[in-house]
Amino acid sequence: MQPLTQFATTTNGNVFTSLGIDWQMLILQIVAFLILVFILGKYVYPWLIKSVDERQANIEAANKAASEAQSAAVDAEARVEKLLKIARDEAADIVATAKLESAAALSASEEKAKKRSEQIVADAQGEIQKEVVAAKKALHNETLELVALATEKVVGKAVSSKIDESLITDSLKAVK
Amino acid sequence: MNQFAALDLQVSIGAQEIFKIGSFSVTNALLCGIAGSLIAIIVLVYTALSVKRGFYNRFVGLVQWVFEGLLKQINDILPDKKLARKMTPLAMTVFFVVMFDYWLSVLPGLDTIKIAGVPILRSVTADLNFTLALAIITVVTVQIYAVKYLGVFGNIKRYIRNPLKSPIGAFEGALEIIGEFSRGLALALRLFGNAFAGEILLIVIGLLASYAATVVLPFFMIFELFIGFIQAYVFFVLVLIFTSLAVSHGGEHSEEPA
Repeated sequence: MQPLTQFATTTNGNVFTSLGIDWQMLILQIVAFLILVFILGKYVYPWLIKSVDERQANIEAANKAASEAQSAAVDAEARVEKLLKIARDEAADIVATAKLESAAALSASEEKAKKRSEQIVADAQGEIQKEVVAAKKALHNETLELVALATEKVVGKAVSSKIDESLITDSLKAVK
Repeated sequence: MNQFAALDLQVSIGAQEIFKIGSFSVTNALLCGIAGSLIAIIVLVYTALSVKRGFYNRFVGLVQWVFEGLLKQINDILPDKKLARKMTPLAMTVFFVVMFDYWLSVLPGLDTIKIAGVPILRSVTADLNFTLALAIITVVTVQIYAVKYLGVFGNIKRYIRNPLKSPIGAFEGALEIIGEFSRGLALALRLFGNAFAGEILLIVIGLLASYAATVVLPFFMIFELFIGFIQAYVFFVLVLIFTSLAVSHGGEHSEEPA
């Protein structure tokens, strides 16, 4: 095995050399790595960092917009709830008022209708009464004429005023 | 053991040289490191261009999702937004480069494709040069930001305090100095240890399973992919935590009596 012999020779030689450390190589690697860091840091990473920052900014903006939208939605919901409550209260008031008004209007119209109907009935009764009186009067006159005519035809010319009167009276009684 | 001897299993702690350019030796880990870094660059540039043009597909979405997650982590660990943006390039590069480099050790051909007896594939995360380099960069960056936020003397006060005024504070400062070294070393060794052990695990499982390796190895490869992601994430988080600890030190001491 070579490593064993390598370590065996190390006791006499340089420990750095046996570990593979070469100062020239070490300095070269340091310089090369620093150049690599500089080039990548100058030309490559800024683009990647910019994209990450932009994405982060977009995410933050989206989050902010989402939270704003959420709070706006909550506000809107609260406002809608408030408006609904007011509308419900107003509707309840309107319904109550309408009920009262309709009840009042109903009773008023009932009263009016009652009065009107009573008036119509009274008028109708008055008319009927007049018509009855007129009819009685007309009937009376017609009866008298009829009686006179009938008496003339039945009795003829021999009727005296005394007989005529008694006949008339009997006729009237019969009619009644 | 005889079997291993017969199979000639060779494991080298250090990366192995493939060829030389002048006096500079090009190792297998270095080649893989370049490949891994190129993959990371291609993936990130492709994603950035796609995002710039507004062209999205599942791959772009996946990379963007990972990037966004990591960016969120940075902002969570470093509350100072300005500091977080300054640390983003280093932390992101650490994560993506470490992850892609680590994943290269899962490629089939590990320890079997060789040039002049040297395996070509060796993850750069399994090379102490790379992990140590990352640890040094992290520690130095943390110190730079600590000085920037606390001032030179404020930062020194974290480590050196008057033992006559506050013996416990002085001891704490000494521990802080040791802690800085141990943090850096732990960063380097943790990543190296995991990557190196992962490669050895795959090689040994491949040898032990023999022909059954086609069935057995994929499970270990998936496991290694997961470990690669975890190691990259751990390194990334530790870079941020060390920075956060260093710059927040001022707050603790400002409450102390003068």
